[in-house]
Amino acid sequence: MSVLSEHLIEEIRELPAKYPQPRSAVMPALDLAQEEAGYLTPEAMSEVAAALNLDPGYVEGVATFYTLFHLEPVGKHRFYVCTNLSCTLRGATDIVEHVKSAIGVHEAGELSKDGFFSYEEVECLGACEYAPVMRLDHRYEKDLTANKIDALIAERRSPTKAAVAHAPLPSPLPEGERAKPKPRARKPKSG
Amino acid sequence: MAEQRGTVGGPVLTEWFATKDLHKLDVYESLGGYSALRKVVKEMTAGQVIDEVKASGLRGRGGADFPTATKWSFVPKDHPGPKYIVVNADESEPGSAKDRYLMENSPHMLVEGAAIASFAIGGHAAWVYIRGEYDLPFEMLRDAIAEARAKGYLGDHPFGTDYPLEVRLYRGHGAYICGEETALLESLEGKRAQPRSRPPFPAVKGAWGMPTAVNNVETLSTVPWIMRHGGAEYAKRGTEKSKGTRMVTVSGDVQKPGNYEIEIGVTYRHIIEELAGGPIPGRKIKVFWPGGSSAKVLPASMLDTSTDLDGLKALGTMGGSGGIIVMDDSHCVVKGAARLLRFYAFESCGKCTPCRVGGNWAVRTYDRILAGQGSQLELGILERVSDGLQNGRCLCGLGDAAGWVIESTMRHFRNEYEEHCLHNVCSVEAALVNA
Repeated sequence: MSVLSEHLIEEIRELPAKYPQPRSAVMPALDLAQEEAGYLTPEAMSEVAAALNLDPGYVEGVATFYTLFHLEPVGKHRFYVCTNLSCTLRGATDIVEHVKSAIGVHEAGELSKDGFFSYEEVECLGACEYAPVMRLDHRYEKDLTANKIDALIAERRSPTKAAVAHAPLPSPLPEGERAKPKPRARKPKSG
Repeated sequence: MAEQRGTVGGPVLTEWFATKDLHKLDVYESLGGYSALRKVVKEMTAGQVIDEVKASGLRGRGGADFPTATKWSFVPKDHPGPKYIVVNADESEPGSAKDRYLMENSPHMLVEGAAIASFAIGGHAAWVYIRGEYDLPFEMLRDAIAEARAKGYLGDHPFGTDYPLEVRLYRGHGAYICGEETALLESLEGKRAQPRSRPPFPAVKGAWGMPTAVNNVETLSTVPWIMRHGGAEYAKRGTEKSKGTRMVTVSGDVQKPGNYEIEIGVTYRHIIEELAGGPIPGRKIKVFWPGGSSAKVLPASMLDTSTDLDGLKALGTMGGSGGIIVMDDSHCVVKGAARLLRFYAFESCGKCTPCRVGGNWAVRTYDRILAGQGSQLELGILERVSDGLQNGRCLCGLGDAAGWVIESTMRHFRNEYEEHCLHNVCSVEAALVNA
């Protein structure tokens, strides 16, 4: 039983042709797998490896190198709070403490009880003029204050507001050349 | 369009930033956008483009200050296979946000510059390697490229010519080291981003084994202006050897943090006190990083230092990526340095031993000092580790940068280090409590 859907595997198989050399497809492929599965399990990485004709160990080696690939379950909404120097000078330490208490966790990577939130302290996000900043749901939240964080959490807990608050996710593929998932009749499970 | 916190309507890069919807092709074009690319592909030769950029004196804005035209001319002209421009949009130097500012405001400026650069090296494709956290700039570039392609400015026949030009995007996934050009190339090839040993240099063997020039976002964004107005016009600005204007990001303890376009040669006092509004009322500037966290710090007594690139080098520091981090007298230098060392230790790719081991060694030493367990010994360890990290002992500059943070903060603020190590006090924080 595979972890990734059949059409995703097909999509991954089509990726290498988009690059001068097929190996470049490994990161976009892991990105797709992570988007579908939430995080990268060893099984998911093996399936990506098989689809790209790469060694599973190689794919895992790439996935473990980059901080945006998650190898453990993460919250549906992740607070990536910058705590590098420019943000720390403008109060990032207090922001982290507030996020922790507001979502009820004790350490980075821990899931909130409802599984909705988790947070990480990250390095410079390249938006230092808005410090303190964080990345949440593929958008930067700037000039953070405790009130702002409470509002962001409330928006995401309330299902009606949530639909408005969440901008559509950018496609992880270059130039949005993402193939449309092909509808496919499900085979009835045997046995 | 993104919210603007910085220069709008500056002399070169931000010239059109006051115009609404500048990210749309028709608006960009109505102001003169894409006229440079049109002229280049229809009327010029690659050599003429390089000569024009050479006349401008433009130097790379990613941190190394290397002359752009010279870099392009290193790419062999007679290479039979593909040649690439790779755009370094992996901006992740602490304190630097100017590439994001440029891409969010005027994505077409980068697309046009990248296409001109491809033409100049005799290549047909530019790959933009953009950091994974930059969602909005990614979307804006993606849309800009699609618009340019639909309009026939990119593709197999740009402006009706037979010189195919493409700009493609590749997303990074979180690794500071990808800002280093050979690590970036490894990452673009789908590998762990570890710097390569040189030679061969990217100009000979770069992306996918082909001749490649790696340029920073700001560098390429400057190129269309140079082609429109001429290299000589650009060279009228700046200092004798550091021509033109550049972006700086001012962050930290100032009243108006932002991305400012400055003429090279103005002083840091002008940038920090006038453009960025100076210190928070009641506080005094203590120290600043003149060009990203990797540039050696300068104390406030040196605020009148010029932004001239060679002048900064002579002082042992650099203009770097233009990220100016300002710290005032309410913050402890030792804690600031400790935070940066944690960053360098975390981001070390692990390939070279001095950087892999030295960074963590420094972090443990700072941890002891800040836990009140410092002594004369710790001061000696920091000095030795700082030396071990520097002096070209590693394949790339990450280790050096970590060493520079220790060395330069210790040189200018020895008193704060001694207070922490020898007396277990932080006079900066004590003053805040007593205030």
